[in-house]
Amino acid sequence: MNPKRKAVSIAAAGTALGVAGLAAIAVPAGAGEAPELPPVSAESLVESVLRADAPALSGTVEVDNDLGLPAVPGVPALDLESARVYSDGEGRSRLALEDGASEHTIVLDGNTLWNYDSATNTVTRSPVDRAHGERPLGPEGERMADPTRLAAEFLRTVRESSTVTVDGTARVADRAVYELVLTPKPAERTLLREVRVAVDSESRLPLRLSVHTNGTTEPALRIGFSDIDFGAQPAELFRFTPPEGATVEQEQQPQREDHMRDEVAGDVVGEGWDAVFVGQLPAGLLDRQAPGERGENVRGLLGQVGTPVSGEFGSGHAITTKVGTALVTDDGRVAFGAVPQQVLTEALGTR
Amino acid sequence: MTTQVLAGTGSRAPHAPTVRLLRAELHWIFHRPRTLVVLGLLAVLPVIVGVALTLADSPGPPGDGPGGEGGGSLLASAAGNALVLPVGTLAMTLALLLPLAAAMAGADALAGESAHGTLRGWLLAPVSRGKLLLVKAFGVATVAATAAFTMALTGMLTGLVINGGGTLFTLSGTTLSFPAAIGKVAVAAAWVSLQLWAVGAVALAISAWTEHPMLVVASVLAGIVLFSVLGLLDALSWLHPVLLNDSWQIALADVLRDPMPLDTLGEGALRAACYLAIGLSVAYARLTTKDG
Repeated sequence: MNPKRKAVSIAAAGTALGVAGLAAIAVPAGAGEAPELPPVSAESLVESVLRADAPALSGTVEVDNDLGLPAVPGVPALDLESARVYSDGEGRSRLALEDGASEHTIVLDGNTLWNYDSATNTVTRSPVDRAHGERPLGPEGERMADPTRLAAEFLRTVRESSTVTVDGTARVADRAVYELVLTPKPAERTLLREVRVAVDSESRLPLRLSVHTNGTTEPALRIGFSDIDFGAQPAELFRFTPPEGATVEQEQQPQREDHMRDEVAGDVVGEGWDAVFVGQLPAGLLDRQAPGERGENVRGLLGQVGTPVSGEFGSGHAITTKVGTALVTDDGRVAFGAVPQQVLTEALGTR
Repeated sequence: MTTQVLAGTGSRAPHAPTVRLLRAELHWIFHRPRTLVVLGLLAVLPVIVGVALTLADSPGPPGDGPGGEGGGSLLASAAGNALVLPVGTLAMTLALLLPLAAAMAGADALAGESAHGTLRGWLLAPVSRGKLLLVKAFGVATVAATAAFTMALTGMLTGLVINGGGTLFTLSGTTLSFPAAIGKVAVAAAWVSLQLWAVGAVALAISAWTEHPMLVVASVLAGIVLFSVLGLLDALSWLHPVLLNDSWQIALADVLRDPMPLDTLGEGALRAACYLAIGLSVAYARLTTKDG
């Protein structure tokens, strides 16, 4: 072979290598074969999930959200996509929420909850009352939590009104999992078709939660680990010292609870999948300034994102999403649940 | 052929030693006034940004920055934080200015020498075409890395002078020791250098095909603008992983997180390596088939 042709073939091989590399980046990794696992009954799987302790782990949680939330003008969409989660298995944890080029870091170091926002360089510290068990994670944290807690809470409450089955196996975050499926019993009036929980075959930790609605194949909401590593985590991850120049705000626990009580008062009507929360908005909320830049009050905003409805309960606006419906009446009552609108109007009518 | 003739007649070493060639190339590059002017301007940029951020002392309400661009909102955090300034300015200039510098170096390397007629000397000299490409690629890579590390250095110094040594903290709120902070900034500068080498390799490939340095700079610039536009179109999301500048705006913010997530950085580095391989291969193919 003459040197020129040899050189050209070397160059062609180099180019092919580069193109192949780019193709490898572009092609998403497949889900892989469903692993072979010993069969397990739904009962023992649920029980082992409820009994399992959260081990020390680090991982990335991803959120796929196709809830069909109405777009509110002037308010950025809820676009939380991924969070990095660290836990030492002894009650200390760290959560890093990426928000563009800034970050929310939430560190629970045992007695104190630190919430750091890099965009504004502010730290919020709140004391944690360990006796009450329930640990507040702040608004972001509460929404995200970790899939562990979300699924465990869910399982406990829905067993009376649902069919619980184990529907084969799958792979989540490169680990073999059982797919636990909760289907509402036929009598339940709900928008949801099924809820799937992927349970790790070894640690019995729920790794993914997906909510499916009637009439769609893609889940309306999926929260799950995209990668996870079990094992001890460095202790410095669970300590936080406010950086120099940061604004530190102290948040008092009791104040927080009062605040919550002030927001919405009410109770749950119905049971199981068609449970509906019915309550009363704080006085004057509807006439308060709405979030966003348009300077409207809440009532005006409801008129934009909701559809007007009226019935025995009076009149109001309904906001419909794929997984639930909310109804706010003109006199300040509110009802919401994972149900069609009719169930809400009935629930409002009974009170 | 030429080498054999020269080897037969000459009494000196038939092949010029590589180190001497590399040193000569660097000597030429760093004695060009335009190289020095570009590097100087890039080095001053972090100082200007740092001073401007300090004078406009309120960074404004969150989310009020210039859109969701990584460089822009990173800079919002740079006021009062010595660590964010160098990385933020790197992210800002990686969008256009730094690739422009790399493209300019790539254009000068082959097309520029062609235009002046000096490339002919290289092609006739007892230097293999592979070694010629090596020397030229080394020159471009040095310019790119110098630009990135100089900016990182001046940015770091500016940040330390304005905000003080206690303000080296990450986006996660962890305060770093001085060596750890240097390490993070070095990682950012090295990653930026790798991206610039990919741009430089593509520039060299174009440079080998033309005699007009202007054409090289214009094509690289057009490519970057085109890639940015394609990156904005959601309908083409399947194409985005292949675009070289796909992760440029988000990956550098990851350097500032603690612990550092490596997914985006790693993918960006792999992508740059692929472009590097393609660019150098095409340039090599063209150089070996070029007539002396």
